[in-house]
Amino acid sequence: MTDLTKTTTAPEPGLIPLPAAAARALTLVGGIATAASAFLAWTWTSEFPGDLTITGYPGGLQWLTFTGGLLITLFALSGYGIRGLGWLLPAGNNGPTVLTALGAFGTTWFTVIAIAVNLDGLVNLEPGAYVAAVASLLAVIGAFALPAGADETHNAKAAFAAGLRKGGIPSNTRIVIATFKGLAAYIGKPDRIPAPGALAPWVERAVITVVTAVGLGVFTYGIDTEYGELFIGYLILVVFAMWALHSAGLTDRFSRLVAHHRGFTLAMGFAAAIAFPFTQTDDHYANIGVNILIFGTVALGLNIVVGLAGLLDLGYVAFLGVGAYTAALVSGSEFSRFSGVQFPFWAAALSGAAASLIFGVLIGAPTLRLRGDYLAIVTLGFGEIFRIAVNNMDGVSGPDITNGPNGIPSIPDLDFFGFKFGEAHDIGGFTLGRFANYYLLMVLIMAIVVLVYTRAADSRIGRSWIAIREDETAATAMGINGFRVKLIAFALGASLAGLAGTVSAHVTYSVVPTPYQFAGSTPPNSAFLLAAVVLGGMGTVAGPLLGAALLYLLPEKLVFLQDKSLLAFGIALIILMRFRPEGIIANRRNQLEFHETGQLDVPDTETLADDPAVTKAGA
Amino acid sequence: MTTSTPTPVLEARNVTMRFGGLTAVRSVDFTVNSGEIVGLIGPNGAGKTTFFNCLTGLYVPTEGTVSYKGTVLPPKPHLVTQAGIARTFQNIRLFANMTVLENVLVGRHTRTKEGLWSALLRGPGFKKAEKASEERAMELLEFIGLAHKRDHLSRNLPYGEQRKLEIARAMASEPGLLLLDEPTAGMNPQETRATEDLVFAIRDKGIAVLLIEHDMRFVFNLSDRVAVLVQGEKLVEGTSEVVQADERVIAAYLGEPFEGDPGQAEAAEVEAAEAAADAASTTSTKGEGQ
Amino acid sequence: MNTLPQQLANGLLLGSMYGLIAIGYTMVYGIVQLINFAHGEIFMTGAFGALTVYFYVLPDNTAMIIAVPLMLIGGALVAILIAVGAERFAYRPLRGAPRLAPLITAIGLSLALQEVVRNFYPDADRARAFPGLDATHDIGSVTIKDADIFLIVAAIVCMSGLAFFVRRSRTGRAMQATAQDPDTAQLMGIDTNRIIVIAFAIGGFFAAVAAVAYGLKYGNVDYRMGFLMGLKAFTAAVLGGIGNIYGAMLGGIVLGVAETLASAYIDGIPGMQQLGGQGWANVWAFCLLIIVLLVRPQGLLGERVADRA
Repeated sequence: MTDLTKTTTAPEPGLIPLPAAAARALTLVGGIATAASAFLAWTWTSEFPGDLTITGYPGGLQWLTFTGGLLITLFALSGYGIRGLGWLLPAGNNGPTVLTALGAFGTTWFTVIAIAVNLDGLVNLEPGAYVAAVASLLAVIGAFALPAGADETHNAKAAFAAGLRKGGIPSNTRIVIATFKGLAAYIGKPDRIPAPGALAPWVERAVITVVTAVGLGVFTYGIDTEYGELFIGYLILVVFAMWALHSAGLTDRFSRLVAHHRGFTLAMGFAAAIAFPFTQTDDHYANIGVNILIFGTVALGLNIVVGLAGLLDLGYVAFLGVGAYTAALVSGSEFSRFSGVQFPFWAAALSGAAASLIFGVLIGAPTLRLRGDYLAIVTLGFGEIFRIAVNNMDGVSGPDITNGPNGIPSIPDLDFFGFKFGEAHDIGGFTLGRFANYYLLMVLIMAIVVLVYTRAADSRIGRSWIAIREDETAATAMGINGFRVKLIAFALGASLAGLAGTVSAHVTYSVVPTPYQFAGSTPPNSAFLLAAVVLGGMGTVAGPLLGAALLYLLPEKLVFLQDKSLLAFGIALIILMRFRPEGIIANRRNQLEFHETGQLDVPDTETLADDPAVTKAGA
Repeated sequence: MTTSTPTPVLEARNVTMRFGGLTAVRSVDFTVNSGEIVGLIGPNGAGKTTFFNCLTGLYVPTEGTVSYKGTVLPPKPHLVTQAGIARTFQNIRLFANMTVLENVLVGRHTRTKEGLWSALLRGPGFKKAEKASEERAMELLEFIGLAHKRDHLSRNLPYGEQRKLEIARAMASEPGLLLLDEPTAGMNPQETRATEDLVFAIRDKGIAVLLIEHDMRFVFNLSDRVAVLVQGEKLVEGTSEVVQADERVIAAYLGEPFEGDPGQAEAAEVEAAEAAADAASTTSTKGEGQ
Repeated sequence: MNTLPQQLANGLLLGSMYGLIAIGYTMVYGIVQLINFAHGEIFMTGAFGALTVYFYVLPDNTAMIIAVPLMLIGGALVAILIAVGAERFAYRPLRGAPRLAPLITAIGLSLALQEVVRNFYPDADRARAFPGLDATHDIGSVTIKDADIFLIVAAIVCMSGLAFFVRRSRTGRAMQATAQDPDTAQLMGIDTNRIIVIAFAIGGFFAAVAAVAYGLKYGNVDYRMGFLMGLKAFTAAVLGGIGNIYGAMLGGIVLGVAETLASAYIDGIPGMQQLGGQGWANVWAFCLLIIVLLVRPQGLLGERVADRA
C-alpha cells in the first residue's frame, strides 16, 4: 500500500472554483463566525422556545449552531495540517468538512426559518440571526471550494458516469440521480485510508471511554429536548456529524478499536446506560428511557428471528403481550383472575418467558416446515388473534381470564428484598424515581438479552441460522435440520419477548389489549418492532437498539406530526427499502446481500444492474 | 487401496422416480463399494441429477430403496448427510456471504453437537468443541489449498476455488461416500487435471466417490467403474474400456444410422475420391521425384 | 332467520367476497412470490373510488341500475391504478432483493394507503355511508338482498371470464408460463414485465368488484376495512392452494362458510358456550388456517408456484 500523504500531486480545485488558500480561509472564518453568532440574539421575543434573545449566551437551538460551528472550525484547522488535529482527517479528504458545514448550515437555517414562520415574518429576526445564516453559508461555500484530492474527483466522476448509464429511467431524472450520486461519492469515504498508528491498549480504552461518555451526552440531550424544533435541529446536526465522521473513516477506526476490546466496550456501554437515570432530574425522562429499553430489548429478540435466521415474523408483539398478561395474572393484582397468587419476580419472569415459549412452539411447529411466506401470514394472524382473544375473555363473550377490554390494572410494584420499585430512592445525592428503578432493572434484562444474542450468533447454532437463511437446500445438504434450527430461533425470540413483557407489565401498572396490534401510532406494535430492526440494521447488536430509540422518540418528540405519523412511517418504510435496505448500522453481510458492491479484495465498482445474470456453472 | 472383498458403501435397489406421468428414473440398481471411484454418465436429461437427488433424500423415490452401509436411508437430506453421504451441487451453492472458513465450519455441523444452551453458557466443553472444529476445518482447507484465504468471502473466490471449497465443505461432514455433481463444469484443462488429482487424494483418504460428469477423459481416467444412464435406465456398467466400446453407449451419445441413410454411401464416395486424389498425386510426385 | 340454509347462504356470500379478493393475492404470489400486503388496501381504495363516483360525480338520487356500473368503473379505475402503480414504483425496483425487502415495502405501502385515505378523504376517519341494495327476497327459508344477488352474479361472471382468459387467450397462456418458469418464458419471447402488470391489474379489478359488493351489502365503508378482509382473503388463497385461481375462490367459499357456521353454532358445543358469535369468528378462521397447513399444506387444490430454488 502506497504511503498516502495529505498533499497529493497537484490537487484539483473543489466543486466551486476558488484558490485553495482562499477556500481554506473561508471555511475557517465561516466556522468561527458560525460558532460566534450563537452568542448573538437571534430574535427579540421569547415566544420562540429556547429564549434566543440574549446576547452573550446561547439558548436552545443556538447551542446546536455553536456546536456545528465548532466542528467546522476543528475540521478546517485540521485541513491546515495543524499538529494534534491530524487524526481528524486521516485521509485528508474534504467530505467531513463539507458534511459538517452542511449540517451546521442545515440546523442554522432551519432555526432561522422556523423563527420566521413561527412568529410570522422576517421582521422578527434580529441581526444576529442574519449573521448566523450568512456565516454558515460561507462555511458551506468554502468547504465545497476546498481543493479536491485525486480520489475524490475520480470517485465523483465515476459515480456520475455510472449514474448516467443507468437504464430504464427518462434522461432528465437520470441526470439528477447521477448528480446526486456524484455528490455523494465526492463527500463519501475514500477507498484507501491510511492505517492508524498503533496505540497503547490503555489509550485505546481511554478513547472508548471518552466516546461512550460523549455518546451518552448526545443521547441524553436528545431525550431531554423539550420541544419539537429543538429535536429536529438536533437530528439534522447529529445525522450530518455522524456522516462526517464516517466519511473521515473515523467510525471504521472506532469499530476496529471496539473489535479489539469487545468486553470492555460492552461494559462501558452498560455503565453509560446505568449512568443515564442519574443524569436526569425528572423521572419523566426515565420513563422514556425505560420504554426505549423495553422496546429495544424486544427488537433485539426479534433480531434473532428476523436478522439471524431470516424468519418473517409479523406478529411478534403478541409474544410480548403473552409475557405481560402472564405476569399480570400472577402479580397479585386484585383484578387478576388469580388474585390470591403472587409470584416473586423471578418466578413471574420465568412464567412469562415460558408462556411465550409455549405459544412460540405452538405457532412455529406447524408453519416452520413450510415456505417462509406462510410464516408471515400465520404470525400476522396470531398477532391479531391474540388481541381479539384477550379482548373477549371477560366472562361475557369468553371465559373470564383476562378481564376483557379493561385489562388488568393495579399491578403492584416489584419489591426486591425491601427495595421497593414504586418509591423514590436517594443514592449519593441523586434521586431515583419510580421509572428510574425499573430502568435499572431493564438494563439488567437487556444485558442478558445482549449476551444471549452475541453468544448465540457466534456459535454453531448461529452459523446454522445464517446458513439456513442463505441457502436452505445447501444447508440441509450439510446436515442441518432446517425445521429444528428454525424452531429454536423462533422459540428463543418468543421467550425473550415474554421476558421483556413481564417487566413492561409492572412498568405500565396495567395491561390492556389495545397496544398489541399489528400497526398503530404508539409503539410497541409488530410493524414498529419490525421497522426498528430493519431500520436500525438487522443482524447487529446496536442496530435494533438504535432503531427502537429513533422510532420511539420521533413520534414522542415531534408532537405536531402525531396525526400524520403513521403516514410518514409507511412512506419512510418504502423509501428505506428502496435505498438503504440494510439499515443504519449495516451488518457487513447484509450490505453485501442487498448490494452487489463493497467486496473485500475487489475495488468498488458499480455493477450494471439491468444486465441479465451471468451464470457460471455448466450443463 | 482396494480391499480383497469389496464392501458396499452405497446400495441402490430398483430405484424409480416418477413425477406425475414422467418417469425420470426407472428401476436403477447401483452399488458403490468402499475405496471406489464410480462415474455416472449419460446424455443430458438422462436423469442423473434426479438419481443423485434420490440418493441424498431431496426426492423420495417412488419405488425402491437406497441403503448406506447396510441401513436404509431416511428420506431427509440432513439425515442422509448425518448417515455419511455428502454432496456438491451442479450449480455452486456456497454460502456466498460467509467466509471460506465459515463455510467449512457449517459443513462440520453434523459431526458436532453443541446446541443453543451450550452456546449460551459457554462452558469449557463449548470452547473445546469450537477449537476442534476450527482445527479440523483448517486441515481440510489446507488439504484443498485454500488455507491462506480462510477469511475471504466465498463469493469473492475465483470459480475453480469455489468448486474446491464446495468439496471441502462436503468433506467436513466426514462422509464415507462423496457425491460430486459435475465437478469440472466450466473448468479449463489445467483445473480439470488438478481436480483429478484431488479426487484421487480424496479416495486415498478412504472416502468412496461417485461422480456425474460430461468430461469423458476425466471420468474414464478416474473411475474404477462407470455406469451409463440413458432416459432413466441404466444401460451399461463396467470398466472404462468396456463402456467406451459399447455400441449402445455410442448410439446414445452420437445416434444410430437410420434406414437408407446416405451415411455409408457418402463415406464410400469420400474414400474413393481420396484414393483417386492420392493416386493422382503419387503419379505427379513420381514425376518430380522424391 | 338463523336456520342452517340461511347460515350457509351467508357463508357462501361472505366467501365469494373473500374469493374475489383472494384472486389478487394468489395471482401475484404465483408469479413473483410476493405477498402483496397492500392488496387489502387496494380493495379499500376501490370502495372509496366507487363511493366518490356515487357521492361526488353522479347527481343525487341516480337510479342504482345506472349508478352501480358506474361505481364499478370508478372503483376499478382507482384500484387498478394503485395496484399497477405499486408494482411499477414500489415492487419492481426490488425484484432481485431478498424476500424481506419487498415485504416491508408492502407493509409500508399498506400503512401509507390507509393513512392517506384517513387523512385526506373527507370524513373518512369514521365509516362512511355507502349506498345499499337492500331490497330483500325470500327463497324458502333463506332471505337475501339485492346486493347479494349482485355479488353472486359478479363473482360468477368474473371467475368464468378469468378462467376463459387464462385457458384460451394468448396472454392467459403466457401468464401460466410465467408462473411456472419466468426465465424460460422470457426466453420464449414473453414480456414478463407486462404479464406481471396484467396480473396486478386483474387483481385490482377483482378487488374493486368485491369492494362494491361489500359496500352495497353492508352499507358503509371504512379506511380500515382492508386489513382484516385482506388477511382473511390471503388465508383463503393459502387454503385453496397458493397460485391456483380456482383454489382462491374455493378457499374463499370454504373459509366464509366455516367462519359463519362456527360463529353461529359453536356455542352449542358443550364446553364452548362463550366462544360463539362474531367476536370469535376471526379466531376460528385462523384456527382453520393452522389446521389446513398442518394437514394439507399445499392447499385444497394444490399450489401453482414457480420453483425458484
